[in-house]
Amino acid sequence: MVNLTKTFAAPRGIADLLRRRPSADGVTPVDGVDLAVEKGEVFGVLGPNGAGKTTLIKILCTLILPTAGRAKVNGYDVERESGRVRESIGLVTTDERSFYWRLTGRQNLEFFASLHNFSTDDAREAVDELLGVVDLRYAADVRFLNYSAGMKQRMAIARGLLNDPAVLFMDEPTRSLDPGAARSLRDFIKGEIVGVRGKTIFISTHNLEEAEELCHRVVIFDEGRIKAVGRPGDLKAALGEGSKLSDVFVHHTGKKFEERGGTGAGATAPGFRHDRRGFPHRGGGLGRRRGGV
Amino acid sequence: MIIIFRKALSFIKRSYLLQMSYKFEFFLRLFFMFFNILTYYFVAKLIGTAGQAYLAPYGGDYFSFVLIGIAFSGYLMVSLRGFSESVRDEQMMGTLEAMLVTPTDASAIITLSTLWNFIFASFRVLLYLAIGVLLGVSLIGANVLAALIILGLTIVCFSSIGILSASFIMIFKRGDPINMLFMSTSELFGGVYFPVAVLPTWLQTVSHLLPITYSLNGMRHALLQGYSLRELAPEIGALVIFSAVLVPASLLAFRYAVRKAKMEGTLVHY
Repeated sequence: MVNLTKTFAAPRGIADLLRRRPSADGVTPVDGVDLAVEKGEVFGVLGPNGAGKTTLIKILCTLILPTAGRAKVNGYDVERESGRVRESIGLVTTDERSFYWRLTGRQNLEFFASLHNFSTDDAREAVDELLGVVDLRYAADVRFLNYSAGMKQRMAIARGLLNDPAVLFMDEPTRSLDPGAARSLRDFIKGEIVGVRGKTIFISTHNLEEAEELCHRVVIFDEGRIKAVGRPGDLKAALGEGSKLSDVFVHHTGKKFEERGGTGAGATAPGFRHDRRGFPHRGGGLGRRRGGV
Repeated sequence: MIIIFRKALSFIKRSYLLQMSYKFEFFLRLFFMFFNILTYYFVAKLIGTAGQAYLAPYGGDYFSFVLIGIAFSGYLMVSLRGFSESVRDEQMMGTLEAMLVTPTDASAIITLSTLWNFIFASFRVLLYLAIGVLLGVSLIGANVLAALIILGLTIVCFSSIGILSASFIMIFKRGDPINMLFMSTSELFGGVYFPVAVLPTWLQTVSHLLPITYSLNGMRHALLQGYSLRELAPEIGALVIFSAVLVPASLLAFRYAVRKAKMEGTLVHY
């Protein structure tokens, strides 16, 4: 990524149709990002909700076009070679709506396999193998709507691995899971996807434990900008003995890092924004942040 | 080509399974179709030979005339609604984004998503015609080949209008002028329920600007009177011209809409 920037212009209705470039006013969730991720690396984007993590991932997955700068995934330009990029990636989101709830797990995966140009036989074989990998073979012919949150998330991972991608993007993969299921999923990511399959993983999270446990390197990302990049151990060591990753975050952003579920009644977690009525609200999460009415 | 065919089958299977998961709705739709046909059957009995002067070019029977009209105008409805509704449905179900990160092109996703609707529309047309035959409509002299050619051109033409409509949905989410324009004008000016000749001459000019006028004219002549391809040349020619303009225009519009939505980050908004 070189000087990667995304500015969303303030909407002005039908006049937007005629405008080629966004107007000066608007929000910039990704602002001049320069970053390189090594092959086989697990790279974590650490930041509060609304930091711009999801927009960054969407740009890299070709779902959003950048306003300025360049980005390549697996050597392919996200704008000019978007088809090649999509052949090289898998995306795992927290949005459980991204499946057909009235179809079974197997039917869902076989459908998405066909979108990855699999033949019927190859799709059947790949789906069966992946259902085994994510330990869902026993529920393969059960409708998706009957799955638990953990099962749905494992299905999302199976779908992300369908095309054996060179790069796997994961947008807060444990966000909707209870601590036990999150733990189990992290073990699976570490053991199977990283350990066995050796995938390059670009993972966004606002869970410090997850970042420390999974990532070779992390970037502290806030207000669309890179605040610090490095190995979690190195970043902590730079602040002195006994420092935690949360201290690193505070040091570089000037904000207290609040992990999910950690606020008392009435308090607003840092990283949450206030709407015009003064209520705190959360951004973040593919399909949720921008998927509303 | 094989890949597209495989994908098409996959989309049809998905839609069929989703449709069959709502079996009650599926059978209700079929059941109430009969009421629709019967209504026009009795209206035709009431009209009797009153509209002979206008119906003569189509064989003279109102029930046969309107049966073809309501059966084949279904394709226009499917095209106008099908493409934009599939964009909207996938946006609302949350599945659009998951499909758009695969190597399958956005236009292919939207086009293939509507295949089931066209299959269902064709099934409905066959049922309409079968019921029509049972109620006395004669298709003995039908030129089936000509009817199929007109049907193919009709689907291409109507689908292009549908893709134009989906482009508006992609950008504006609601309030699609193409859909509103064609939905409101086609039934009135397109000759679905009555021959275009009934309209005042100046209004007939509007009819000539609508592809449905040529589709229904051609289809009636082919099925009810067995016109040859040569005799159907004006209708076929008009549909070819409409297709030549609408197909590239709709594809360009859709590509622009996807790019615009990607630029604004609103691809999955609804």
